[in-house]
Amino acid sequence: MINTANGTISTSSSSANAQSPGLKTYFKTPEGRYKLHYEKTHPSSLLHYAHGKTVTQSGCQVTLAHLKEKPAPSTPTSSSSSYSASSGVRSAAARWLGAGNGSRTLGFAGGNGGSKSISSTSRIGSLGASSSSNSITNTNFDGKGTYLIFNDPIKSINFSNSNPICHAFDQDAKDGHDLLIGLNSGDVYSVSLRQQLQDVGKKLVGAQHYNKDGSLPILYILVISRSRCTGIAWVPGSDGVFVNKEGAGDSSFPVVKDQTQFSVSHARYSKVPSNPMARWHVCQGSINSIAFSHDGAYLATVGRDVQAICEFLTIQKNSLYVVAKVIMVLYYVALGGALMDGKYILTGGEDDLVQVWSMEDRKVVAWGEGHNSWVSGVAFDSYWSSPNSDGTGETVMYRFGSVGQDTQLLLWDLEMDEIVVPLRRCPPGGSPTYSTGSQSSHWDNISPLGTLQPAPSIRDVPKVSPLVAHRVHNEPLSGLIFTQESVLTVCREGHIKIWMRPGVGESHSSNSETVLSNSLKDKPFVSSKIGSSSYKQ
Amino acid sequence: MGAAGSKLEKALGDQFPEGERYFGLENFGNTCYCNSVLQALYFCVPFREQLLEYYSSNKNGVDAEDNLLTCLADLFTQISSQKKKTGVIAPKRFVQRLKKQNELFRSYMHQDAHEFLNFLLNELVDILEKEAQAAKNDAETSSPSEKTANGPKNPQANGVKKEPLVTWVHKNFQGILTNETRCLRCETVTARDETFFDLSLDIEQNSSITSCLKNFSSTETLNAEDKFFCDKCCSLQEAQKRMKIKKPPHILVIHLKRFKYIEQLGRYKKLSYRVVFPLELKLSNTMEDADLEYSLFAVVVHVGSGPNHGHYVSLVKSHNHWLFFDDENVEMIDESAVQTFFGSAQEFSSNTDHGYILFYESLGAGNKS
Repeated sequence: MINTANGTISTSSSSANAQSPGLKTYFKTPEGRYKLHYEKTHPSSLLHYAHGKTVTQSGCQVTLAHLKEKPAPSTPTSSSSSYSASSGVRSAAARWLGAGNGSRTLGFAGGNGGSKSISSTSRIGSLGASSSSNSITNTNFDGKGTYLIFNDPIKSINFSNSNPICHAFDQDAKDGHDLLIGLNSGDVYSVSLRQQLQDVGKKLVGAQHYNKDGSLPILYILVISRSRCTGIAWVPGSDGVFVNKEGAGDSSFPVVKDQTQFSVSHARYSKVPSNPMARWHVCQGSINSIAFSHDGAYLATVGRDVQAICEFLTIQKNSLYVVAKVIMVLYYVALGGALMDGKYILTGGEDDLVQVWSMEDRKVVAWGEGHNSWVSGVAFDSYWSSPNSDGTGETVMYRFGSVGQDTQLLLWDLEMDEIVVPLRRCPPGGSPTYSTGSQSSHWDNISPLGTLQPAPSIRDVPKVSPLVAHRVHNEPLSGLIFTQESVLTVCREGHIKIWMRPGVGESHSSNSETVLSNSLKDKPFVSSKIGSSSYKQ
Repeated sequence: MGAAGSKLEKALGDQFPEGERYFGLENFGNTCYCNSVLQALYFCVPFREQLLEYYSSNKNGVDAEDNLLTCLADLFTQISSQKKKTGVIAPKRFVQRLKKQNELFRSYMHQDAHEFLNFLLNELVDILEKEAQAAKNDAETSSPSEKTANGPKNPQANGVKKEPLVTWVHKNFQGILTNETRCLRCETVTARDETFFDLSLDIEQNSSITSCLKNFSSTETLNAEDKFFCDKCCSLQEAQKRMKIKKPPHILVIHLKRFKYIEQLGRYKKLSYRVVFPLELKLSNTMEDADLEYSLFAVVVHVGSGPNHGHYVSLVKSHNHWLFFDDENVEMIDESAVQTFFGSAQEFSSNTDHGYILFYESLGAGNKS
């Protein structure tokens, strides 16, 4: 449903094609064509992003959020059932645009298989424009109950003195406050996404303001470095643990001397929980992003100088006691990451490469070359299943995607030999080629827990080539998300494109009652008057 | 001037690095190309230190004629020995000398910062080589008949071989490229080494330095009009050619070819492409096995839409702070501001401040030579 009353939606603008010269509206994969289904753009007149002296690096984040219960009367009459309606799950994508230095983010994508909804957020951050405004807009982008929530310069929530630079969503939040927003200033708000959906306006509805004199124990961790809140995440499965991590020095907590040890100074241990409950020191530089694995056993941090995966040795529910330890340091990880069924981590970075890390072996097991610029977002496609995956094969196929500052979306297939030896080790100096063969070999020096590997030479690691390389936007990309029906790409300017999976588009007939669905299905890229007329300053 | 200085001092507070000086440079009419490069060189610490050392050890000796080297050394000494921590200095002597030396820079036209850097480094090397040669001649021949001042060419004329001298300028900036050409008929690989002070890279829209370096080292086929004369086949043959970095320099200077000659227009055009450059660069197109790591410490930025006008400023990293030098103005900036100089993702953009020359210093502790 288009929320015209609130005047907040922007569907494909009339200039969509003009804005995307030379861009195709589909791309081919072995399983078929992915078609551009929806495009959200800003009219250029409203893009007053200062490219000049102001800091433009920021996170244009997209989060897929699944609201469990039926949200609110603002829901359209979604008569159709196929779209996850059976479970009553609503999904929403939330995005905050703001300034900051979200150049490096990392996210865990929890869950495996399409049956499970993403329970932790997959954070994607990137370069972006700076904007002091922030808004939540919702749109039912497929007419089937899926929500897109994003901010744009048109209708905005104003944080008077600061910009939002990170956010996190937790569908299992107990107190209804499921969304956390971290600001440039270090302030943290928690809000109810559901409530916010009902009242799309310039204000945060019923928000809790933290990190000023926060006193309620709530479920999240936030990273503050150099007084800026640069990363935020919920602590999965923990109830009442509020962890506050600082990268910059604070005299009341000891600073870690040995960088290979991630130490936790558990603090403020009192009967009445107060925030922050613990502060951790990870590295000297600022931490740009953190994320938990969906089971809460691992924490990933991405900083200017150290990128690490930490394992929680002790994480007790309803306790204030948390101990973690670095188990792996990721090198050259800059921009994105995702975790797949606890086995592999994807990263992308400023060396234009995509890397696959094994949680078990704690090192790079494959890398991919194909981007012509920095990789800003990576994600496993957990909904994709290999055409010949009958469960009897010796290998497991993974599909993952990456987006970069080169405006390209790349899809990759990764075959992992699960039974014999994962991958062949190439002799140094030789050109590494990807092989699934078992003609090898030894996994030497699998490191014991707790020790850190030196920076690996990538020349010894198998290389994979992209399956598809497609230029999807005109602007550098900032993130991608896989959903059951589609692939969602976002560029740093905040344009969102939704690419329907092969077969999905056709199966939906255009008999949908919802306005947006019609306008998108029939004329996906043609001007929507409703959309364009709804812009308000 | 004083106000600006105190502002910077205030911004840095007690974090002001000890012994460091941040001085703006006065503009003598379109000399920003010069100022921006001089600032980058001044904050190239190994270069500065060696220049100051050279100056202090040489000024006691023969009071030779002014040259660009002495003028530069004099300027750097002036800056570093200032009582105040910040302020403005007029690089008058240096600019005068530069204009005297090279008519290219004599006019008040807008000049190319890269051309200036190139000219300066080569000039410095020339001067050092001449001095070394003269010293050698003095020591060896000790014949007073040969006046060193006007006879620098002579030793080469009768010298059997000209041994390339490795000066401290070389040690900082010089790298070696290997140009490998493989004849497609006889498969013979001909390798030719060439030295460089900087790498000039072709750029593409929405690319990275890593990608530009990869293209620079990519294999190119020589055919048709452009065949290769193979010594073994004794004829023109099709061949494959590629450039690799044989010896990476300690200071890696990367010049982005933003000024491109457009034949249809009959003139140069500025490419505003967005080319991202990392603060830490991994150099992988080398002959060596391990990747080399570099850290960005200076960026010369071209401001403006065309090649014949505009402005140059520089960004400099000093003691973990980033500073913005715009002629006489010096400001502190956030590290994250560096990325505003990447370029424009689309052609028409109001942003015209683009990184043009990048200065990287090798992080490798085990630096050979």
